Amino acid sequence: MNRRRIAFVGAAVVALWLAGCAQVSKVATGEVTVQERLSVTLDRPWNQFEGAQGDGVPTWTQEGITVDTLKFYVGLKNGGLLAPTPTEPKGQAPLEFKSTMRTGEIVALFERLYSREGSTFTLDRVGPDTFADTPGFSFEFSSIRKGDDVRLRGVGWGAVHNGELFAITYTAPRLAFFPNGVASAESIARSARIRK
Amino acid sequence: MRRRQWLHWGCACCAAVTGLAKAQSPWVPPPRFTRPDVASEEGGLWALMDREETRVRRSPFCMHETALNQYLSEIACKLGGDHCPDVRVYAVRTPYFNASMAPNGMMQVWSGLLLRMENEAQLAAIMAHEIGHYLQRHSLEQLRDVKARSAFATAMIAFGIYGLAGQLVALGGAYAFSRDQERDADRISIELMRKTGYDAREAAKVWADLLAELRANPAVDPTHESVLFATHPPSDERRDELQRLSVHDDGQTSEAAYKAQLAPLRFGLLEDEIKRGRFDESVVLLDRLLAREPEHGDLLYFRGEARRRRNGAGDAALAMADYEAAVRSGQAPAVTHRSMAAVYRSMGQGEQARAAWQLYLQAAPDAPDAALIRQYLEEAQ
Repeated sequence: MNRRRIAFVGAAVVALWLAGCAQVSKVATGEVTVQERLSVTLDRPWNQFEGAQGDGVPTWTQEGITVDTLKFYVGLKNGGLLAPTPTEPKGQAPLEFKSTMRTGEIVALFERLYSREGSTFTLDRVGPDTFADTPGFSFEFSSIRKGDDVRLRGVGWGAVHNGELFAITYTAPRLAFFPNGVASAESIARSARIRK
Repeated sequence: MRRRQWLHWGCACCAAVTGLAKAQSPWVPPPRFTRPDVASEEGGLWALMDREETRVRRSPFCMHETALNQYLSEIACKLGGDHCPDVRVYAVRTPYFNASMAPNGMMQVWSGLLLRMENEAQLAAIMAHEIGHYLQRHSLEQLRDVKARSAFATAMIAFGIYGLAGQLVALGGAYAFSRDQERDADRISIELMRKTGYDAREAAKVWADLLAELRANPAVDPTHESVLFATHPPSDERRDELQRLSVHDDGQTSEAAYKAQLAPLRFGLLEDEIKRGRFDESVVLLDRLLAREPEHGDLLYFRGEARRRRNGAGDAALAMADYEAAVRSGQAPAVTHRSMAAVYRSMGQGEQARAAWQLYLQAAPDAPDAALIRQYLEEAQ
């Protein structure tokens, strides 16, 4: 087995461990501040994984971390990595954000993030949008997750504010879960405010 | 085939292996296997692989292109001889170099491997090696070896011996075949290639090309990246020995037939290659492919992409040269213009960027990012 597959199996084990043992806390309805920089308003409670998914990205879910995920990328500075993981293979270019990136380049980072380990990523739409009172972008995509063959749909909103990237993405299985959860995810994204 | 196996195989084409093949009595393939009793250890292994095959067949990553699958099956049949009816080949969309064969006759060939082959003989070399493992029933030997390992006793109790061994085989071989088994499969693969008229020298070329890719990235030490490189003789020695051993071979490469099969798929495979984010390796791969098709618009575009996204010193200019060459070829994909705009913009050449974005929109007005490009144009006014 090559190291990539070993890493994948390891990641799966870690994910299972996280799902079974990691601390999960309730995020109550109302206004919540994520990483002290991004305020959002929830129309219903969510579950937060304290350990994120090993990448330091705050991750919320309704149905479980292997089903639907709402992820927050908060105040990523120039040179910061989108989702650094300890198992990042050597030789793979890091997902490095640059303040000068335009939307297409930022979405390309998410494309590579969701293509990790051979998952597919198809960009369905990207266009200008407003996020956190800042001119930004939104995008939609489809993906087939390697490992369990689940077909996902995803959506993201983001903006670069004073050289820092703020973004929220939501992914879920395309049947039932995504249609059921996307409205709540979008409501959270539309409520986002950057704290000074 | 796991990278380890694959590189084992490259090694095994060396003097000891091929020399043995020629010196020893001719290898005679076994008769077709009958399905083992499900109560036997081999029967249990087959049953697990049957379930895995069902999963693979239903997977959205299984490539269902009829012509490709028929082509792969024909090569397997040619190599497998009397075992043809028992071998089933599945092309799997995964952008890494890999192939494997299960003891029940299921062979998987990953799309990253297909992208890297230059001709049918190279593909046949790998498939013949996997068939060699199958014909020698190496998986059963591995199962027995696993049973014998006391370190796995606990795991065996917990999961059951067949479950454990089957998982290992299904995952692609945490337990790689032994060196002797690899030599055995190598010997057989060379014989099968010769018997079916393929040029056995192509085997060494595949191995050397893969090594060149791995070495392209300064951050990667092949001896750490690959188990095989770490546990076997120096890779240069193996490559050189392979070349020496196959120098007197000849036969067909069937390059045109292979290209015809791959042509409708290659753009998508190249997209997947770029998404791996291993741009140094991709540049080496595309250099090699372009050496054979120097004016191919898609290849030029993707090498430009690998360079632009790598974003090293001088990469922007090199990427632009590739994009321009792609446009000159008359076969450039529409996205070439979008990438050119990105490079122009990074160079502060706004006018050229606007022109390139306009060309992109003209060529792909309904692109998923059309709204974004229109916004770029408005901002650039």
